[in-house]
Parts: sequence; structure tokens; C-alpha cells
Amino acid sequence: MIKKISNIFRDGIYFDQYLFISITLLSAMGLVFLFSASQGNLETTIKQSIFVIFGLVLMLLVSQPDPDFYKNNALAFLLISLFLLLLTAFTGKEINGAKRWLDLGFFTLQTSEIIKISLPIFLAAYLFNKSLPISLKNTFISILLIFIIANIVRIQPDLGTSLVILIAGLYVLFLAGLSWRFIGASSAIFVLSLPYIWNNFLEPFQRQRILTLFEPNADPYGSGWNITQSKIAIGSGGFQGKGYQQGSQAHLDFLPETETDFIFSVIAEEFGFLGVCVLLSVFLFILIRCLYLALNARDRFCRLTIGGLSLLFLSTIFINLAMVIGIIPVVGMPLPFISKGGSSLLSFYIAFGIIISMATHKKLMRR
Amino acid sequence: MIDSQERFSEKKNFFNRLILIYVIFAALFILIIYKTYSLQVSSFSDYEIAALKNKTREILIQPSRGIIYDRDGQILVNNVPSYNLIIKPSFISNFENLLDEIKSIVELSEEEIEYARINFQKKASLNRELILKKDLSKEEIAKFEVRSYRFKNVFIEQRYSRQNLYPELFSHAIGYVGNLNNEGLDKVLQDQSLSTKETIFYYSNGFIEGKTGIENIYDDRLRGKYGTKIFEVDATGKLLDELNEIPAVSGNDIKTSLDLESQKVAFKAMNGRRGAIVAVKISTGEIVSYISSPSFSVNKIANGLSENEFKELLDDVNKPFFDRAVQGRYSPASTIKPAIGLFGIENEIIDWDYKINDPGFFILPEDNRIYRGWKKGGHGDINLSNAIIESSNTFFFSLAYQSDINDLTKHLSKFGFGRNVCNDCFLPDIGLLPSPAWKMNTHNFGWFKGDTVNLGVGQGYLSATPIQLAYYSAILANKGTINKFSFVKKDSLEEPDKLISSNIDVSDWEKMHESMIGVIDNPKGTAGRLRSLKDYPIAAKSGTVELVSTETKEDYKIIRENEGNRDHAIIIAFGPMPNPEYAVSVVIENGESGGSVAGPVAIAVMNSLIN
Repeated sequence: MIKKISNIFRDGIYFDQYLFISITLLSAMGLVFLFSASQGNLETTIKQSIFVIFGLVLMLLVSQPDPDFYKNNALAFLLISLFLLLLTAFTGKEINGAKRWLDLGFFTLQTSEIIKISLPIFLAAYLFNKSLPISLKNTFISILLIFIIANIVRIQPDLGTSLVILIAGLYVLFLAGLSWRFIGASSAIFVLSLPYIWNNFLEPFQRQRILTLFEPNADPYGSGWNITQSKIAIGSGGFQGKGYQQGSQAHLDFLPETETDFIFSVIAEEFGFLGVCVLLSVFLFILIRCLYLALNARDRFCRLTIGGLSLLFLSTIFINLAMVIGIIPVVGMPLPFISKGGSSLLSFYIAFGIIISMATHKKLMRR
Repeated sequence: MIDSQERFSEKKNFFNRLILIYVIFAALFILIIYKTYSLQVSSFSDYEIAALKNKTREILIQPSRGIIYDRDGQILVNNVPSYNLIIKPSFISNFENLLDEIKSIVELSEEEIEYARINFQKKASLNRELILKKDLSKEEIAKFEVRSYRFKNVFIEQRYSRQNLYPELFSHAIGYVGNLNNEGLDKVLQDQSLSTKETIFYYSNGFIEGKTGIENIYDDRLRGKYGTKIFEVDATGKLLDELNEIPAVSGNDIKTSLDLESQKVAFKAMNGRRGAIVAVKISTGEIVSYISSPSFSVNKIANGLSENEFKELLDDVNKPFFDRAVQGRYSPASTIKPAIGLFGIENEIIDWDYKINDPGFFILPEDNRIYRGWKKGGHGDINLSNAIIESSNTFFFSLAYQSDINDLTKHLSKFGFGRNVCNDCFLPDIGLLPSPAWKMNTHNFGWFKGDTVNLGVGQGYLSATPIQLAYYSAILANKGTINKFSFVKKDSLEEPDKLISSNIDVSDWEKMHESMIGVIDNPKGTAGRLRSLKDYPIAAKSGTVELVSTETKEDYKIIRENEGNRDHAIIIAFGPMPNPEYAVSVVIENGESGGSVAGPVAIAVMNSLIN
């Protein structure tokens, strides 16, 4: 019976059991964590479970088409997501002074989460047949596109996602063979223009967050509150943690945003260093699998896409963790598959669905 | 399109770059794990404490203050229960309804209602109690209690407030308590190694401290140790569960040296006149009576006066807050004469047989200035003993004239003039013992011989507080030795300070005692009117402090029209003779006659102490 099912999978369905199992495991852990982080809110947890189940199905569906389908339609996907992004800018739903969401009635869609996926795929599709090193003209076209999209997201404002879009685009460009000379030159320009960026591109509260990073104790009840409380939560978890739903920092409201940005602090408080290690091992397993798949992909487009999307995943995890332990400034960034939030969750299921599609459709081995 | 060779190099290039990024991230993740490790394992205890501090709030419990007793163990100051009406705002949904219901049972003033309205939301959000009305009457308590089933979140709470059982009798000796301000509380808590200052009484008639008198001086002993209740709180500071309680430790009681009966007598004898009485037990230096008059009610001060009442007390021309016993400065006048006489004996300027002729005045040879005595025509041929009994000024003008001022100042200092004579008095003044150096510093004038002559009869610059006069009286009584004064009852005898040791021997002291007994008992004594008030010998010396210098009795009659110009009446006394147990000093401002006005007061106190 089991053999039969697995045969069906092997024959008719494109499926990577390593990624599928580890992501399912991660999602399940995420639900357990979220239940505690939401103060035992069953409604939130059930809603998230629905997203998880839907997401897993979506991942399976998205992994079925041949990579060529994504390659050929990359431009269309990009244009659709760009359209949604612009639509958000004009008619979006404003929450807490930020315009990031499209109200679809049953679901509020964070459109930047879609373009986060479609941009790297488009760049991969655009660059896969360009000869090495990438010409200056193509470099400029790609960079211009990346910057325009990242900037649209930045002014929502959503610094975190905009940053992720920016680096995801740059990863693809880099992996596609961006010339070292160009990298060197642009890095120099970037460093030199930092003061200009500081003064013109950052909102006052964003500047404050960066300053807080260097001196969190300057204003522990004001701008330093989040990071101070987060560190206390993590640190007081100790090696074994305080026990499930026993975190005083999380449950007595000292910790902000426990369901989203700071869910890692809740995990660290309640499950300790041991729990942190288990969680990071699952992430590590997924990332190593992605590396393996990227290195063994069937063609350049697939390589670039898997590379770009997996680095997107990796960067998101890194930014979230580095933020909550206080080594980078606070930017809104969910922990993939763990934090509450449908759009972000679904976007990663889609990303992994595409990765699986790229990895399992072997041109030469096809029967 | 790209060819296969290029495809190979492209693939290699991709591998290198992807692995490069992975390596960089591997390093970053090692950093994250290291940082998490250092937070959770290396600095665990710091953060564990920080989290604990976050989620707990210590609330102070006021300890019960020590009780103050008199020397026979009668309670003078106690803690009495008072009853407050308390509500729990966090459980009350309709405050106005509740207010209406309560108003129908217990009368609430406009201020009380307004206070409750203003603070209701805040108290509710923090889960704190709110005091609706303080100090309920018995009737109000009864009326509320029978209906209390209707109010789930309203209750009556018993608290203790300080009560002096004799509120006007001990207002300066024991003093009063008042609210402790935040800085004061911080300091106390620091001493008791407690950190927080939040308290359930915080907005009410919170923590108290002794403000004056014994309540202040022995505040540490009476206060006790604060306890704490530890609550779990959330980030907004709302109290959740009580986790732990460290009970408060009550303060220590104090058995004072004060004698309730003689204090009552002294207070009655003073009858609200401006002045002071200090009486001490000679063998120990214990203060047994201590009055500064007029007085005020310490209970009213401690439990809150209205602004008007307080202003009235402050503006009172008789200055009831002023503690005349340790802060009032008075010229000792003739009461200084025994000390001056002993100086003459000690320095062999005179002996007991030495006589002068007293024509009623003394002429200073340097400038022919005349210093008058109180009796026209003088006392004739007179020796030291009679000079004390009759209070001859001329004798002491002449004796002072022959004295070295620096030696005389040193001598007077031994009797307590110009220094603090009390171990535990509240803000004692040291009076003024003048010296040539002092005069040069303050008046920029050299010392005149005339200044010394004035000193000889206790006028001029010299001034002393009533407690210093009592000390002086006690030293005379005890023949040159005494313990520094104290308000606390002593269980064992201490070695007294031997102050005057030199040339004055026992027979000199006895002769001085006899002369001072003569002040009352000798037919020529200045305080003869006191003879009938007692049935045992008492040594005394009266004094009359001239505030305005007049040449004749007629002149004095004119200036005495203004009460404030009248002479102060002073007396020092000790007895029963020949083995005196108690010494006393009495000052009555503008009382005019030491012997007949201050004297009866001193005798009344003596009688109550001895019988």
C-alpha cells in the first residue's frame, strides 16, 4: 500500500520528500510556538493551521509544472505582481500608518510578499542565457528593476521586505556572474553614499532603531524597550527554557510582537538554548538540501532560481534572528514558517514549491 | 546563447559564488548561535534576574511604630486603629451607580468624590485599591457593615494612626509624626536594604516619620522594619497574584524618663503662659518634666490640620511651635549668682567671711559708670551667703569686677552655659556664653570691664535656655557632677561627668546650698512667699530679667504698660534638702518676678515629684 502511494509519487507527482517533510515539521513546530506566543489564542492558531495546510497543498501544486513554465511566464508573473504592488500603493489598506495590504475580503494580501518571489525568478529568466560576464547593459537593467521595486516597497513603508527584495535580486545577479570589478566599484559607491542614504532614505524612526542598536540602554523604556525585553526573554530562557507557555516575558506582555517579529524570543524563553538548537537544525537541514539541489539543478535557470530563492529564505531567517538578539536594528521581518502572517507564509510555500519543481524535473532523466 | 565550454565555466562560477555566500552565512549563523549561547548560558543569571525583576513588584508594608511610655510604664503615645472605606476599581463596572449607592449610606464630601473620580481609571488599570473615605465614624462603620452584602468590591479596612494620649502635654518633649516624603523614604529603605518605594498607602496618609522631639530623635528605634508583599505584574504594572510576603517588624517601644503626673502638674501650673519648665532627676540626668508653653495638639498636626488651622498656629504671637525649653534664650539674671560666688571661692578672690558694704549701687572705677542694685539704699554690710539670700547686685558687681573674664567664661561653661547639655533633645540651642574673642568677632569691639560686671548678675550678653538652667541647677545640687540630660529612662546608673573639681570642697557646696535654702526660708530671702507652699527645705535662686533698662520704679511702671516690656521671671531650684533628688528651672516670659511668679510653678512641680 505504502509502496503503491510512493510509486504514484515517484511516477506522477514531482515531490522532494526531504524538503516536504522538513517544511511540514517546521510548520507544525511553528503552530505549537504560535499557540503559546499568542497567549493561547485558539482562533489565531486555527487560522494559521488553515494557512499551513493550504500552503502545503499550494507547495505541492506549484512544484508540478515544468521549470520552463516559470521561465516562459516569468515576465507575466513579474508584471502581475508589479501591478498588485502599485494597486496597493493606491488603494491599499492602511494599518498602523503603513500601506502594505490589499483587502481581498477573506484575506488581506501583502503584495510585497509576491514580488519577493517573482522578481528573482524573472531575473533568473532574464539572465540565464546571457554570456559571462554579464554585460554592463544587462547589469544596469537588472539593478534598475531591483531598485525600483525595492523602493516601491520601502515607501509603504516596509524597510524589512524592501531589504529582502533588494538582496534577493542582487543574489541572482551575483550568482549569474556579475563581474567582480562591478561589485568592487559599486560597493565603494555604496559605502561613500551611506551618509546620503542615512539622511534621505530613512525615516526618523528607522534611524532611531539603528542608533538604538549601538546603545540599547540609552533609553530602555523608549526606543530600546523592544530589544531590551527581547534579550531578557532570550537570556532568561537559559539552557532548558522555562517550559511551554511559562515564559513570563512573553505572557506578561513585556515582549512586543510575540506572534510575528519576536516569536523567536518566545521560543528561546520557553525552550531555552536546547530548543533554539533544534529549531536551527531544521532550518540548517532545509538550507543544506537547497544547496545540494542548486548544485545539481538541470540548467542555469533552475540553478539561479533555486539559489536565489534559497538565499532569500536564508536571509529572512538571518535578519529575523539577528534582529531579535540585537545585532542588527529592528526591522519588520517574520521568521519563515513560524511567525503569524498568511502572506509571508504562503510566499515561502510557493518559493519552495518552485524550488522543488526546479529540482525534480530532470530533462535528461525524464521518462 | 552560450556554448558548452562556457556552460561549464558558468556552472563552476555559480558553484563558487553560491558556496561563497553559504560560507559567509555560515559564519553569520555561528555568530548568532554564539550570541544566543552567551545570552542564554553565559549571562543566564543576569537575565534571569532581569526577567524576575520585570514580572514582580514589591509593595511596602508599614511596620507598626513603637509605643512611647512614661517612666512608670503608662502609655503616652499609642497606635490606634482608624477605619477607611476602600473600593477595588478594577472590579467595578459602573462607578457612578456605586457612588450613588454608597452616598446613601455614608456621607461623602465633594473633595472625596472628586478624588475618587480622578483616580478611578488609573487605579482600575493597575488593579490598586482606592480609598473613598478616611476615618469613618463608628456610626458610619455600623451603617455600612449591615449593608455590606450589597457591595462585593467595597470594604472597610483597619489602619493604624498615631495617637498621643495627652496631645498638648508632650507636644514639645515627644513631638509629632508626619508624612514621610519620597527622599526620606528612599533613605530609610536604603538603610533597611529595601529597593522599591511603591506602597499600598502611596496615595493615602502614607508612611510616617517622627518630625520633632522624641519621635524624631528616636525615629530609627520606633520605626521598625518595613515588610514587603511581592506581586506578579504585567508590563503595564497591573498587579496579578501575590507571590510572597515578608512581614513588617514592629518598631521598639521606648520607655521615657518623663513623669506623667508632674508633667500634668507643670502644664496646669503654667496655665498657658509663655515660658518653659524643665525638671530632672539629679542622680541620673533623666528629664522628668519638660514643658514649653503655650502648647498645641500634636494629634491634630499628625492627622492633618486644615490650612487655616495651621496658619493660625503659625501666626500665633505666642509661637506655640517654638520649643522654649531648648531653644528659648533668656538671660539667667540673678540665678547666675551662685555660680559667680563659687568662682570667687574657687579662685580665692573672696571667702565665706568676706564682706563688702552695699550702698545699693556699684561704681565702675574706669569710667565712673553706675551699676544699680534692685533695692534702694542697698543691703549694707553683706557677705556671700546673704548676697545670695537677698540677691545683692553690688556684691556680685564687685566680685565680677575682680574676676578674670576668660577664667570666668571657662567656669560658667562647666555649669553648662554655652554648650549642649542634652543627649537627645530636638534641635537644642546652646545659648550664648560671651567671651572677649566672641565680642571681637561679632561686634568688632573689645571686651570692657563693664561687660564682666554685667555678667556678674547674669545680664548683658549671657543667655541660656531653660534646659541649660536646669542643668546648672542640677550641678549645683549634685556638688559639681552630673550626667548629660536624656529623655530615656536609664536602667543602670552611669558614672556622672565630674565637671567642677578644683578648689571648691564639700563644705563650700553645703554653704552654697544653705544660702540657697535661705532664698526661700530666710526672712530676708527674695522668694519668701514660697515658704508656705511646701513642707520640706528647697534650695532656690530666683531671677528677674530686665528687658528694658530703667533707673527708677516709676520708669518701670511706665514701660510695663506694654506687656512685652515686662521683666521675665526665672527660678532655679532643687530639693528636698539636704539630699536633693530633683532639680528644676522655670522661665515665665514677662512674668516680672522670679520669686513670686516663677517660684510657685517650680514648687508645684517639685511637690508632685517628691510626693
